[in-house]
Amino acid sequence: MSKSKLSIWITLITGVVVLYFFWNREEKVDFSTEIKPILNKHCISCHGGVKKSGGFSVLFEDEAFAPTESGHPAIIPGDPGSSELIRRLTHSDPELRMPYKRTPLTEEEIELLKKWIKQGAQWGKHWAYEPLTKPELPSEIQTAGFSKDNSAAKKPIDYFVQTKLEEVGMHASPSENPLKLLRRVSMDLTGLPPSKELVSDFSAGKISYEELVDSLLADEAYGEKWASWWLDLARYADTKGYERDVSRTMWPYRDYVIRSFNDDKPFDQFTIEQLAGDLLPDPSQDQLTATAFHRNTMNNDEGGTEDEEFRVAAVLDRVNTTFEVWQSTTMACVQCHSHPYDPIRHEEYYQSLAFFNNSRDEDTHDEEPKLRFYPEEDQAKMNTILDWVAANGGDKSAKLRYDFLRFYEPKYAAHLATDFQNAELIDTKWLGLRSGGSAVYKNIDTQGSDQMLMSYRTGLDGTKVTIRRSNAEGEILASFVMNKTQGDIVREIAFKVLNESIDLYIEANNPKAQPQQNTSTIVWFAFVPTLGGKDKPGFAQVKEQWDDLLEFSGTRLPILIENPPFMARETHVFERGNWMILGEKVESTTPLELGTWNDKWPKNRLGMAYWLTSQDNPLTARTLVNRVWDQLFGRGIVSTIEDMGTQSDPPSHPELLDYLAWKTMNNYKWSVKSLIREIVLSDTYRQSSDITQEAFQKDPKNQWYARGPRFRLSAEQIRDQALAVSGLLSRKMYGKSVKPVQPEGIWMTVYNGESWTESEGEDKYRRSVYTFLKRTSPYPSFISFDAGSREVCLSRRIVTNTPLQALVTLNDPVYVEAAQVLGKKEWESSGEIPDKAIAEIYKTLTLQPISPSKQQAMSDLFVQARKEFEASPEATMEFYPDADAELAAIAVVANAMMNLDEFLTKP
Amino acid sequence: MKNLEKLLSELQVQKLQTQTRRHFLMDCVSKVGGLALAPLLFGCEIGKNGQAKDGLNLSERDLNPLAPLPPPFAGKAKSIIYLHMAGAPSQLELFDFKPELAKLHDQDCPESLLEGRKFAFIRGVPKMLGPQAKFNQHGQSGAWVSDYLPHFSKVVDEVAFLKAMHTDQFNHGPAQLFMQTGSPRLGRPSLGSWVTYGLGTINQNLPGFVVLTSGGKTPDAGKSVWGSGFLPSVYQGVQCRSKGDPVLYLEDPSGMSRDLKKKVISAINQANQEDFESIGDPEILARINQFEMAYRMQIEVPEVMNINDEPDYIHQLYGTQPGEESFANNCLLARKLVEKGVRVVQLYDWGWDTHGTDKDGSIDMGLRNKCRKIDRPMSALLLDLKQRGLLEDTLVVWGGEFGRTPMQENREGKVQGFKGRDHHVDAFTMWVAGGGVKKGASYGITDDFGFSGIDERTSVHDLHATLLHLMGFDHEKFTYDFQGRPFRLTDVEGELIRKIIA
Repeated sequence: MSKSKLSIWITLITGVVVLYFFWNREEKVDFSTEIKPILNKHCISCHGGVKKSGGFSVLFEDEAFAPTESGHPAIIPGDPGSSELIRRLTHSDPELRMPYKRTPLTEEEIELLKKWIKQGAQWGKHWAYEPLTKPELPSEIQTAGFSKDNSAAKKPIDYFVQTKLEEVGMHASPSENPLKLLRRVSMDLTGLPPSKELVSDFSAGKISYEELVDSLLADEAYGEKWASWWLDLARYADTKGYERDVSRTMWPYRDYVIRSFNDDKPFDQFTIEQLAGDLLPDPSQDQLTATAFHRNTMNNDEGGTEDEEFRVAAVLDRVNTTFEVWQSTTMACVQCHSHPYDPIRHEEYYQSLAFFNNSRDEDTHDEEPKLRFYPEEDQAKMNTILDWVAANGGDKSAKLRYDFLRFYEPKYAAHLATDFQNAELIDTKWLGLRSGGSAVYKNIDTQGSDQMLMSYRTGLDGTKVTIRRSNAEGEILASFVMNKTQGDIVREIAFKVLNESIDLYIEANNPKAQPQQNTSTIVWFAFVPTLGGKDKPGFAQVKEQWDDLLEFSGTRLPILIENPPFMARETHVFERGNWMILGEKVESTTPLELGTWNDKWPKNRLGMAYWLTSQDNPLTARTLVNRVWDQLFGRGIVSTIEDMGTQSDPPSHPELLDYLAWKTMNNYKWSVKSLIREIVLSDTYRQSSDITQEAFQKDPKNQWYARGPRFRLSAEQIRDQALAVSGLLSRKMYGKSVKPVQPEGIWMTVYNGESWTESEGEDKYRRSVYTFLKRTSPYPSFISFDAGSREVCLSRRIVTNTPLQALVTLNDPVYVEAAQVLGKKEWESSGEIPDKAIAEIYKTLTLQPISPSKQQAMSDLFVQARKEFEASPEATMEFYPDADAELAAIAVVANAMMNLDEFLTKP
Repeated sequence: MKNLEKLLSELQVQKLQTQTRRHFLMDCVSKVGGLALAPLLFGCEIGKNGQAKDGLNLSERDLNPLAPLPPPFAGKAKSIIYLHMAGAPSQLELFDFKPELAKLHDQDCPESLLEGRKFAFIRGVPKMLGPQAKFNQHGQSGAWVSDYLPHFSKVVDEVAFLKAMHTDQFNHGPAQLFMQTGSPRLGRPSLGSWVTYGLGTINQNLPGFVVLTSGGKTPDAGKSVWGSGFLPSVYQGVQCRSKGDPVLYLEDPSGMSRDLKKKVISAINQANQEDFESIGDPEILARINQFEMAYRMQIEVPEVMNINDEPDYIHQLYGTQPGEESFANNCLLARKLVEKGVRVVQLYDWGWDTHGTDKDGSIDMGLRNKCRKIDRPMSALLLDLKQRGLLEDTLVVWGGEFGRTPMQENREGKVQGFKGRDHHVDAFTMWVAGGGVKKGASYGITDDFGFSGIDERTSVHDLHATLLHLMGFDHEKFTYDFQGRPFRLTDVEGELIRKIIA
């Protein structure tokens, strides 16, 4: 035996001995990491949630120890020998042996279960539901993380990663080439390649890496880049979705997200504003704008669809999205039954739903309530009106008037009508009364108003509308004549003052109307009192300003507004998830397992937002950290980004996840920029992304981070980068979504009538985050590169690699134009020397010097292209008008280089 | 290059191969590039299950997510052509002959049919509407087909009818989603995506899942009906168009010759290969593969999408007119695509929503006209597939997203100007043919008015389970993990319709 072989034997034997001792030390079995995974893997699909075969379930603690159908519990703590669970796992009769007709558990697994039962079968929580605790770090590392200049010492992230690397027998890679790293961090933080100045300052050593990172984080492009990530979660789009999929105004919300990232708005505040901005005291325009987060739900305009069904669909989506975005928890299953895997009960779903089931929006065609963005002169009018109302009716009236002017609530939508006589909901949306027709609105609270506002349109003159108490014989409450309108108008109607809720009977009469003709189309009505102070000087002027404001037709953004008490909705369990079969009534509260409720919080969306962002909620910070990590490394610490429940993959680095989550909450006070900063300053992030065969075999997915992150850029990054390197990119921020070049005939939606009208000037070259997104027909090249259609929340874009992507970057006019402009720029600046131009283009694209062989390949291509174009001036003309053969050829080369893997990939 | 040297020396020490693994894989890639045939890949020792035996441990799917895979068990069908009549055709004018309904024509609908039911547009008590077509029995199977479909009545012995289909969605968008993805809500993969995910595709120079539309509009539910949901986006349907580029961005920039494009791709791949050797990321291999495939796709897609060169008798058979965006052209294209090895072809023909609000939407005139446009081509498709020996392993499916009511629709309580029927979920007819389907079968019976199925009712999930079965999948085992749980096309339902399986 050679010396080296001998030493291997010695090591092996020592190892076995050590292991044996470890094994026999009778360490306490950990339920969460050792037992729960076994139960979930082998048992829970038949013994949990929906199925409780044999009356046995391992989902909840009380179920696991409860008597089964046999009359006895299957687990007897302390006594594995008498536990049916163990007996069944080892039974010799295949009909009785569990898991039924599947591979038996391994001996190790059974031993572990026995040991756990013997030790008392202590139940525990899944790791993700354990509260976060202050992380323990060796003292020398603890300090290093906070000191800027002590970069030689190990940083906490690197400590956790390297500890793991040692465990799996791998080694970290050396630092990445500085300019590759510059491109990596720039694409990651701003979504754009670094500016020329940054490149020269950084390569000249004028600024440190830390300073570079800080300057990228301070760049407004940062907000645009990270907004794309958030907008996927928020399912932000510029159309309503479903069949007709017409445009809606949502862009102010997108701008809110960009501004919030750039301002580094603390994530707890960002959360509270989006979920419950309307419930904050005196909400600002921005805080109301934020609530559009949950108005990104789709709105169905299809004829024949019932608004209530799709209102409910939107509310369900809000529940599911909230839990997916903030808790990495899949609630959709619980809609129909208790969760098969996660400890969330059926009723708890509806208790959570109750938070979201009390907002004013009702899937109406106009998508009210909407926040009005008044221009300055209108705001001045509003102030005059409010002052007047305060002086003549008190502050409370002024507040109500203020709310009404901002978002037109409370109001009743026409679709609430019942008891139609010779009347119908037109296209199941608006009330249409034929002459002599009537309908009833039940349980209407006029709040003692002396005036009704009604929104309607009609093409007929002289319709007499009468509103009565209860029925055709009831007392007349209002009566007025409708004449032809130009589109929808808001009309003031004197109304009898009432101090109770009543049923309104509404009828219309017009002798000139045809028998089957609707006299009008009623959209909504509201009760807003007259201004008061009619006999005071100045009234006429104020009234005029009020009338002006009612005609406002500027930007209006769908937002969340809570129901006033007289409109509050009850929430019931839906039997088997069916909204039409209501079960018991429930009150709003949050799932028990996911964190405790503080009674100081209001029982509404605001309270729920406090619950999500409280220190005790175990999932919000972990979720945030996991998603940010995924954005930077292409993989989460928990790889199932959308789910951290009991079925998720276990975290690759649990302590790292908890460390960053704790720190983000406590030290960084929810600053997302600080979290990102810490990650990109780590050595782990700054490693070379080159792969050795050995490393690839050991860790193909790079889950242990023995190398830097390297993956294909996102749809937005690819387009923005192409525009940026060519100099075409417009840095104009905010505002209405734009429509860059898109092939003809992409939009063919039914009953829609809208078309893609190409934007003009610099709007064609704006960053991708501003591109108009139509849900049923998103921008085609984005779809090719795995962007979603934003119909529902998307936690993770799965990166694919298809020939259709190559067709985009090779042939899409957007990319061809970018190549032409880039080629021309470098052609001219290089003094029209082909090799120099090629080297410069390559450097612009990758920040690297071109290798001789690549230079040769591109140079050959240039010669061949030039030859072709010289032979055919027509082809030259077609490919690049006004260019000569050489310029056209250099554009071809630029097009080729913009298709290189290294250009399309984060280095 | 340091890494490469290191790698090379390691490989030499291991003496695994006289060639380096990377070059070896490069060979595979270029062979895939050259011929795209599975046996050659297997020759490269990439196992049938998609796992390489050694080396970088790359599966065929790592290099190409659309690489063909065998089904879990031998399915009869290799490809599927799904003809979706968007808007929902009336079963009562086409296949479900109800002489009793004629007797009730123009009478008030019996209360029993309305009780506790919701309709999209019908309000109050509508009138019954008798069949507006003449019916006859055809073929050996004696299937009832109306005079709206004279050509189709000659091929009825090829198909199996499902006459008691039912759904639970009465609006177009959700119903189309339900029919195509197994869920009325968004976010689930379409049938075509599931199949393409499970089987990959045979011809790597064409998309694996092709969608063709006619009737001037995309379906009501939009592109989600061929979306990939939570499956990787590579499995979504690729819409091929008859105007403009057949596939978006397929055409080279104007002025760039094919020859020059070839040189462009070769330069790109040369540089990428160099990067692979220095960086070692197998994704770069996939990228090289991708560009070669794109290049070949640029040649093969226009070829297959061009019907100009088809012989006259084929044009006569289908009633095709090159250059049009028509259902006929799409049927011929479907045959060509399947013949070339495309896994899933889906045709959406828009304009079947016959409410009677106008002439085009009337049961007696509009529907008859729509039928004229599909009758010859869909029959031709079956005949043509058969004469080429393709029908045996091509599954053809025809249907809408729901059926139509036996009542005249009375939108907003008004009498419509034309004869029309409302959306109906309780009973409608679909048919399937080819790929393992029992010829001349009929499954499902509806009541005397064609209002409800009374026997052998078939749900959308049952249909999906059966289609997957014919493609070689057990629908209960064909799952994809997402959000912490396995998802299937059939959710937790679906029974095989054994009586229509040959």
